[in-house]
Amino acid sequence: MSAVLKPKSKLIVCDGNEAAAWAVAAARVEMVAVYPITPQSSLVEYLAKFVADGRLAAELVDAEGEHSVLSVLQGACLAGARTYTASCGPGVAFMFEPYVRTPGLRLPIVMGIVTRDLLTPQSVWGGQQDAMSVREAGWIQVYCESVQEVLDTTIMAYKIAEHRDVMLPVNVCHDGNYLSFGAARVELPDQAEVDAFLGEKDVNWHVALDPRRPMAVDPLTGGAVGSGPATFVRYRKGECSAMQNALSVITEVHEEWGRRFGRTHAPLVERYRMQDADYALVTIGSMTGAAKDAVDAARERGEKVGLLKVKTYRPFPVQAVAAALAQVKAAGVVDRSVSFGWNCGPLFQDVIGALYHAPRRVAAMSFIGGLAGADITTGHFDEAIRRVAELAQGAAAGGTVWLNEKD
Amino acid sequence: MGAFETISFRPENCNGCNDCMIACAQAKAQSDDAARSRIQVLSSDGSYELAMCRQCGDPECVHNCPAAALSKDAESGVIDWDASKCVDCLLCTVGCSYGGMVYDVDAGHVAKCDLCDGDPACVKACPRGALKFLTTARIYNEVGNLEDLFVPGLAGCQGCNTELIIRHAMRRIGPEAVVATPPGCIPGMGTVGYNGLTGTKVPVFHPLLTNTASMLTGVRRYYKRIGRNVKVVALAGDGGTADVGFQSLSGAAERGEEMLFICVDNEGYMNTGMQRSGCTPYGAWTSTTPVGERGRGKTQDAKNLPLLMVMHHCAYVATASTGFMEDLYDKLDRAIEASEHGFAYLHVYSPCTTGWRFPSDQNIEVSRKAVRTNFVLLWEFDPQSGLRLTHAAEDPLPLAEYVMALGKYRHLSEEQIAHIEGTIAQNVKFVKGLAAGVPLAAAPA
Repeated sequence: MSAVLKPKSKLIVCDGNEAAAWAVAAARVEMVAVYPITPQSSLVEYLAKFVADGRLAAELVDAEGEHSVLSVLQGACLAGARTYTASCGPGVAFMFEPYVRTPGLRLPIVMGIVTRDLLTPQSVWGGQQDAMSVREAGWIQVYCESVQEVLDTTIMAYKIAEHRDVMLPVNVCHDGNYLSFGAARVELPDQAEVDAFLGEKDVNWHVALDPRRPMAVDPLTGGAVGSGPATFVRYRKGECSAMQNALSVITEVHEEWGRRFGRTHAPLVERYRMQDADYALVTIGSMTGAAKDAVDAARERGEKVGLLKVKTYRPFPVQAVAAALAQVKAAGVVDRSVSFGWNCGPLFQDVIGALYHAPRRVAAMSFIGGLAGADITTGHFDEAIRRVAELAQGAAAGGTVWLNEKD
Repeated sequence: MGAFETISFRPENCNGCNDCMIACAQAKAQSDDAARSRIQVLSSDGSYELAMCRQCGDPECVHNCPAAALSKDAESGVIDWDASKCVDCLLCTVGCSYGGMVYDVDAGHVAKCDLCDGDPACVKACPRGALKFLTTARIYNEVGNLEDLFVPGLAGCQGCNTELIIRHAMRRIGPEAVVATPPGCIPGMGTVGYNGLTGTKVPVFHPLLTNTASMLTGVRRYYKRIGRNVKVVALAGDGGTADVGFQSLSGAAERGEEMLFICVDNEGYMNTGMQRSGCTPYGAWTSTTPVGERGRGKTQDAKNLPLLMVMHHCAYVATASTGFMEDLYDKLDRAIEASEHGFAYLHVYSPCTTGWRFPSDQNIEVSRKAVRTNFVLLWEFDPQSGLRLTHAAEDPLPLAEYVMALGKYRHLSEEQIAHIEGTIAQNVKFVKGLAAGVPLAAAPA
């Protein structure tokens, strides 16, 4: 990330939850539905305060649960509103039913996931199990590294979601505890510039609940006869195509953001000191900061290690990941969640899937850390780098390494 | 020609007290002599019969009159008698087979019922509800010209009450509306359509079974924000209302969201195969409370959803039945009005020919019996007026008349029937207690 302060922008100090709320105000969201849950709660409190203070001119619905939160937004979006909510952990689990329906309706809803580990064991702390558990539901998912990136990406999410080649909901994920409560200096973009960047909202041109455009929304399809199967397949295929379209749209939107605001974020993946790397770490979310420090220290020791940060997780940037890792001998993928049944992290699965497209085989191993709010320190990354270096020299990958197992 | 109001007579409620005849004689002839009444109740083999003008649609009296003294009023439907033209030939009395045209000796002319300008004295005087002034014609006249907002040929079961309810409701609500029909019989019969074809002429959608009131919240709030008055309406079954849909319903009601939520209660999950719901009554057979060597139907009472909604301080709550259409329409009007400023909830009972196992031509009769046995109580509530019974709960028919009409109760033992009778008695007492209480809005904090 590089920053050149624009004349009309403003510097503030805030945490990731407040940054998301500022982004919602800047995007001129019209309908916000909320239900509090740790560690997202302060985000919805900021939204409520911004509405009360007149800073955010949105309808605020204090719903009776996350299931209704997303349902309210679906109704509002079908009527024509730009919408926002945020949740995490058990809240995401509870809203699963309307959640899985949102992409099928092609509603460009933006929802923050302030990532939290899922129950059980009982925990209220950070971890990405919630967002990862819904990775196959059809939402675009992007993961932020910094508070500034939360703010900027939440605004960009509307431009991505409402793009006519996409028309899909977007999860902007930021790590609970770390980004949610970690304060940082951030730049608030100029409102006129944001307005120009986002343009007119475009949310229900394709499907609407409006007496002036009467239509039946989501009639029954499928079954073994008639036009049912073909109709259903056409819709599903359309969703999948839109997901793939999102790869280039996300890239274009990030590039435009950089041009307008003088601050660039890698859209799909970020290559960090990868130029001549023999091996690499692959990270996602806020852990990347500590991982970069560990990579810097290793580089000073003369180790040829690089880092690949995955920002866009769904759609998975298969080609970008394969291209970035094609040159290294080994990769260590650090997950903040688990994939039951594979005994590894879900990002690891995706990375080795992408590596199938690499011209030669790249050895890979899975690290899991940061569950239930555990720190992944530079010490943990030092250990990970050591293991990946051994892998690059021909050692066996072995099983998944649990970074916080003995903390 | 429109439909017209009329007086109905239920001989089983009549005891021959003659109060109606005295009232008529007093009103029309300033006399206490029952012989001068234009309504005559006659004793016949231990029962009673009515002799009075039926205000016929094709009146023989009018055809017979050589002086054009009799004519049918196109507005009211009343057959008017014009004294200035009458030649006292009495030919009209010959034509009438209902005893509606009689010679009043004291007046020296024929005399006939004129419905007292729409407020008949005889009906008001009847102490036992044997006479009733039927204004159902209003529905035909007022609503008959409104557009049916569902397409012809919805695929409901033969004799479906729910189809009747939703067609009537949407005629009244009109096209400036968004309609939610959660999974169940209503979309099942094709209201949201199949494979790209719609069954409804206004915006309609499938919410989830769980989130109807929440999705409508979003729709209404947004339109209100941009200054458009779009009605939002739920046409939901009892499962999507009382069971899995209850959380979103309760939340929206508590927040006072402006919507009209109509629950069409057929006492179970009828569309998906007649399974038990929280609204299935005690003793009822369903496919998940089957009858066998040990099973004797549902073992719990139904939850009283409309009363639960009263406790949400809704702007309007009412129960209704297609057996009593005037009442249903009155409540529909009030509910629509209330939904402009708060949460309106209408609970309409919908006997299910398929799931309850009774002949498809019996639906309205079953609906009537449910009310007349007090199995279903008709009432309405708003915070200012409190709760009010709209159909008297006194002198109910024996419960057997209702339960024996339905296959789903055919297995009931005497003990089970006694249990239902006990539940009904408790319910009547409880609702009457609420009706007698102070309005909620006036209650001390």
